[in-house]
Amino acid sequence: MIEEKFKSVIIWIGCVLLVVFCLTPFLYMILISLSSSPDFLTKLGQIEFSFKNYYSVLSSKSLHFIDYLRNSLIISAASAFFCVIIAGLGAYSITRLALPGKMLILFFVLAVSMFPQISLVGYLFKFMSSIGWINTYFALIFPYVAWILPLSLWILVSYFAQIPRDLDKAALIDGCTGWQILRKVIFPVAAPGIFSVSLLSFIFAFNEFMFALMLTIDYHSRTIPVGIALFQGLHGEIPWGNIMAGSAIAVIPVVLLTIIFQSYIIQGLTRGSIKG
Amino acid sequence: MEYHTFSELRESYAFILPLMIFILIFVLLPVLGTFINSFFRDISFMQRKFILFENYKQLFNDSDFYGAIRFTILFILVSVPLEIILGLIFALILNEAVPFRGFLRACVLLPWAIPSAISGRLWELIFNYNYGLANFLCIKLGISTGPINWLGSSLGAFLGIVIADVWKTTPFVTIILLAGLSSIPIELYSQAKVDGSNFLQRFHKVTMPLLKPVLIVALLFRTIDALRIFDLVYVLTHGGPGGATTSLSLYSYRYFLAGDFGYGSAISVVLFVIAFILSVVYIKLGRFAELGT
Repeated sequence: MIEEKFKSVIIWIGCVLLVVFCLTPFLYMILISLSSSPDFLTKLGQIEFSFKNYYSVLSSKSLHFIDYLRNSLIISAASAFFCVIIAGLGAYSITRLALPGKMLILFFVLAVSMFPQISLVGYLFKFMSSIGWINTYFALIFPYVAWILPLSLWILVSYFAQIPRDLDKAALIDGCTGWQILRKVIFPVAAPGIFSVSLLSFIFAFNEFMFALMLTIDYHSRTIPVGIALFQGLHGEIPWGNIMAGSAIAVIPVVLLTIIFQSYIIQGLTRGSIKG
Repeated sequence: MEYHTFSELRESYAFILPLMIFILIFVLLPVLGTFINSFFRDISFMQRKFILFENYKQLFNDSDFYGAIRFTILFILVSVPLEIILGLIFALILNEAVPFRGFLRACVLLPWAIPSAISGRLWELIFNYNYGLANFLCIKLGISTGPINWLGSSLGAFLGIVIADVWKTTPFVTIILLAGLSSIPIELYSQAKVDGSNFLQRFHKVTMPLLKPVLIVALLFRTIDALRIFDLVYVLTHGGPGGATTSLSLYSYRYFLAGDFGYGSAISVVLFVIAFILSVVYIKLGRFAELGT
């Protein structure tokens, strides 16, 4: 079985390359964040470990790092919450109720998800300015919910469609209303789907950049990706140690969610894009 | 025709209504507003004026606009095939009975999961001229004799963006293709093995034909996504040097930032139309094929 041997060697090499490709930048980020100067590669072997980058990022009030992180967590959690509820209602209507033009709505929503963000942001800025929402959480939560709804709807429709009709028929005979069936039958049975939509919505909102850049002004509502993107040194030299320490802390929530719940994320992504 | 009672219809509309309202107010109205605005001279602190196609006429003579189109198309043509090929290789590996499969899948997901603004910053440091990892590796591995001016030269900046984007989005392609691969019945492979075909023949005769619909979906998804690239160019190169890596989204954003909403809108309408055509193609090819069955 020379072919089998050869194949397993190739696969082993592939696995190693895959891990190197994916993780090297992360390791580099952590190394820089833990070294006292970012140029340790030029004087190899002389890396000087210190936590001063983490300390200065977390303690310096003027950097507002904690504010950005808090804003991001609140905005992403709120967006994910509303997204699941609203997409859940919609998916229930599409899979269970007598909604005319279901397919049309699904394809319309799919088309919406392909719109470039830039074709919204100019008008959104004017709209948010006119109602005084610029630099508030609302300015981001509402567009995020609308933005993530199409994908959430598609994922939930695929989950809801698999639930046997008999379950909600039984509940209907027991005298439950639509809302009660959704809450007491559909949501619990489709819990994995609900969870994967929540995770994906959270990650998408947490990572969003353009809206956050345009619709926030300062630490009152600015999110962490924008905070880190605009992080500049006071005296010209870019404080790479601080930026990498900040980045390392900022990615902890999404990295943990990804590692722990990878199967839910993979499920959601595949259902949202190919399984329909 | 199905027949439904009024109360049934009312309930079904009530459940879909919040979703429709959100999309109407925060997606459709903004797109419509942008479209209307592209026919106006609309600059902050100036009188708004209807000018019909003036903005579009100006676009036709704007060499920076053509530059942005050229960069965006080049970026799609280079990065998307790389992502598909690399994603396919990763998916083929992960589809085998490899050890630590969960660990490998988590590794693949991580670059995708972090904000692209943050990975942009990370790659900015990696491509640092004096002490970045890229130049360190290039010199150690003998790829280059001296440090490469990654972000300071047009070609270097372009390659830098492609590399950072491939790192970030290959995971997505991998996941999609992996789902496609795992749905291919294993019997087909054992049958092909019995028939005495080798690995490459099986890939050519079994894997590729069955994976084709999923490949098309991944390809179109990535194309539409690459078309609207913004975060990475904003953070990594700021569109430079000298506008060499300014994408259509970034070019439009610059006008919004400067308060010129009319011209910025015209640029984004062009981008919107291209994306819309592509997404119609995608829906026709990808979805109807599956839902029709």
